[in-house]
Amino acid sequence: MEDCLAKKMEIAVSEAEKRTGRNAMNMQETYTAYLIETRAVEPQSEGQCAPVDSLWRRYSEFELLRNYLSVTYPHIVVPPLPEKRADFVWHKLSADNMDPDFVERRRIGLENFLLRVASHPVLCQDKIFYSFLTQEGGWKEMVNETGFQLKADSRLKALNATFRVKNPDKRFTELKHYSDELQSVISHLLRVRARVADRLYGVYKVHGNYGRVFSEWSAIEKEMGDGLQSAGHHMDVYAASIDDILEEEEHYADQLKEYLFYAEALRAVCRKHELMQYDLEMAAQDLTSKKQQCEELATGTVRTFSLKGMTSKLFGQETPEQREAKIKVLEEQIQEGEEQLKSKNLEGRDFVKSAWADIERFKEQKNHDLKEALINYAVMQISMCKKGIQVWTNAKECFSKM
Amino acid sequence: AAGAPKPLPSSGPKSLREMPHPLATSSSEEMGPALTPSPDLLLPRSIADKDLSLPNGTPVDTSSPASSSSLLNRLQLDDDLDGETRDLFVTVDDPKKHVCTMETYITYRVTTKTTRAEFDLPEYSVRRRYQDFDWLRNKLEESQPTHLIPPLPEKFVVKGVVDRFSEEFVETRRKALDKFLKRITDHPVLSFNEHFNVFLTAKDLNAYKKQGMALLSKMGESVKYVTGGYKLRSRPLEFAAIGEYLDTFSLKLGTIDRIAQRIIKEQLEYLVELREYGPVYSTWGGLEVELSEPLEGVSACIGNCCTALEELSEDMTEDFLPVLREYILYSESMKNVLKKRDQVQAEYEAKLEAVALKKEDRPKVPTDVEKCQDRVECFNADLKADMERWQNNKRQDFRQLLMGMADKNIQYYEKCLTAWESIIPLLQDKPETK
Repeated sequence: MEDCLAKKMEIAVSEAEKRTGRNAMNMQETYTAYLIETRAVEPQSEGQCAPVDSLWRRYSEFELLRNYLSVTYPHIVVPPLPEKRADFVWHKLSADNMDPDFVERRRIGLENFLLRVASHPVLCQDKIFYSFLTQEGGWKEMVNETGFQLKADSRLKALNATFRVKNPDKRFTELKHYSDELQSVISHLLRVRARVADRLYGVYKVHGNYGRVFSEWSAIEKEMGDGLQSAGHHMDVYAASIDDILEEEEHYADQLKEYLFYAEALRAVCRKHELMQYDLEMAAQDLTSKKQQCEELATGTVRTFSLKGMTSKLFGQETPEQREAKIKVLEEQIQEGEEQLKSKNLEGRDFVKSAWADIERFKEQKNHDLKEALINYAVMQISMCKKGIQVWTNAKECFSKM
Repeated sequence: AAGAPKPLPSSGPKSLREMPHPLATSSSEEMGPALTPSPDLLLPRSIADKDLSLPNGTPVDTSSPASSSSLLNRLQLDDDLDGETRDLFVTVDDPKKHVCTMETYITYRVTTKTTRAEFDLPEYSVRRRYQDFDWLRNKLEESQPTHLIPPLPEKFVVKGVVDRFSEEFVETRRKALDKFLKRITDHPVLSFNEHFNVFLTAKDLNAYKKQGMALLSKMGESVKYVTGGYKLRSRPLEFAAIGEYLDTFSLKLGTIDRIAQRIIKEQLEYLVELREYGPVYSTWGGLEVELSEPLEGVSACIGNCCTALEELSEDMTEDFLPVLREYILYSESMKNVLKKRDQVQAEYEAKLEAVALKKEDRPKVPTDVEKCQDRVECFNADLKADMERWQNNKRQDFRQLLMGMADKNIQYYEKCLTAWESIIPLLQDKPETK
């Protein structure tokens, strides 16, 4: 495995801070800034620990970085950012971007993003990325100087355009289909999970009412009083326990969300292939038609209908000199076209090769990560069940003393 | 401490045999003249007086143990009616549907096993329907107005909302009817009631029902305590306390009922979402290759949790809620008994006052007023004894009910725990090991 940045450098997004400033339209705005801390892993001389470097970045700068990476490395499945706005929320969760819980989860998500990029064999070597981590001032300008914005606009258009590719690599077609389905199923899962969380919250919280009524009831009882009172306390504990349980589950939801957004990145790579392939096919088609035209002009036979041919028939044929000129132009174009086609072909094949390599890497990562996520989810459920058994066993004991 | 009572003329529990009745001079059927009553037993002074009669003039049969209610009550308070001393066992089971031209209804088998002399045979098996139980309860209320009669499950069910013939409904009702009869069986006075006996034994109960209206029952069936006119100045402290207790008690039970219903509702809504949630993992599994088995596993796991939750909600609906409601009904009927007691006391006080104002009779208090006083004291004694018994039974019933609720929840979580623990190895399974 190539030595990636993550091995040489510790990276962390350690803090989040509310800031106020003026935006591009000179209006006051509130935003959150995140502290990125980095430290070289190799021990410095004299056995001391390397110093920690840090700088502040806001979400929009992360977005800029990712856009740059997506455009510059279209054959790579670029790691996604945590969601821009809180989505798939259930009632207890705030949809407010400034909500501390949301900010905290975002902090973790941003750190995860940086670590993903830093451990990617190709992306970690990017200088813009390195500067993002280490250079506070002038980074934005540096990014813009790469001129990636131009590519970005056309890329965006292309990603959304509809066109028909005649001969795509079947693997990419299948993969695009897979990424669409994956997005759909994970979205569905996250939506239902949020509703499940909402309902579960309700079940637990209503039990808290037992606490109060048992306490009130115990006041009029003699022998039963103590048992009721202490059982009521356990009902309160039960009701309160759901908050931590669901908070932990949000982490699982975040893991799913990452792969929801990863599916988008995967789709983008497939589209890029389709784009290139389409481009190639168009170029080939163009070349063929030019060759044909040339041939027709040279032999004088009109095999295909053309408006020019018709008009020339109606209004008189061209002069031999004119024809010669045309043929020459066409021959030049054909020459150019063939060279372009050759390079496009090469580009296409290179793209397919390197993209597929990254896709294989991504698949392995995805399978590993999602398995881990499912295991963690099961562990969370087990913990919740054990807590439930504990509380009800305690309550049962109190009831037995009634 | 009470004086040593002589044995009652009945084959009652052995422990009572050892204790001779304080008012019986011999083992003959008839009561002898009154002995000096013990100071702590609130004995009606003229219980042995054959002229004792109920307000409407019907003579009271004092030969039956049920008439010496207060004494029996007191004496048997500490009696632990376990298998050894118990001589009457009643069970309700085997519900059957009957389809007739006019109506469809359910009957239940009522089985009795007994060694009591009041029963001709040691075993009986009869079939009874709800209205028969209802009839019994009414008869008990009429004939034993000083006692707390156990409640029946609700009579009317909203048609269309509840299926009267569903297994769950019939089973819930059966359990409640069984409890009803067992509570009567355990009561030292009610269990000897003539109507109860007939209910358990008669082949044709309807014939007896019709007969009962015509015959002059020795138990004074048509006793209706005077309801008009008399207003109680103040309830004695202990009965006021009982009244307040019952008020708060039924309030709290009502709250618990609402909470329990709300929990069941929330659980069912949670279940609806879970039922959609599980299959999505399965769909996802269909998309994947390596993750296919783990995702299917999670889907199946959630399915198991759904089943467990369904069982929990069903159990709570069928076992927990009905008992709560039973006790709320119990409280209501007990409060009515308290009111009747008030009226008896009010009547006595009014008559006493009337006499005092008249100043006709000198030191000797008229028998009419004396009878009222006896009635009050009888009522008070019966009620107090029943309250103590009720409190004890209530404590046991609720202990069992709440422990049962805790148990059901524990079982639910254990089922879910097993499901999730069983898929951990599946999730951790590495492709190379396959």
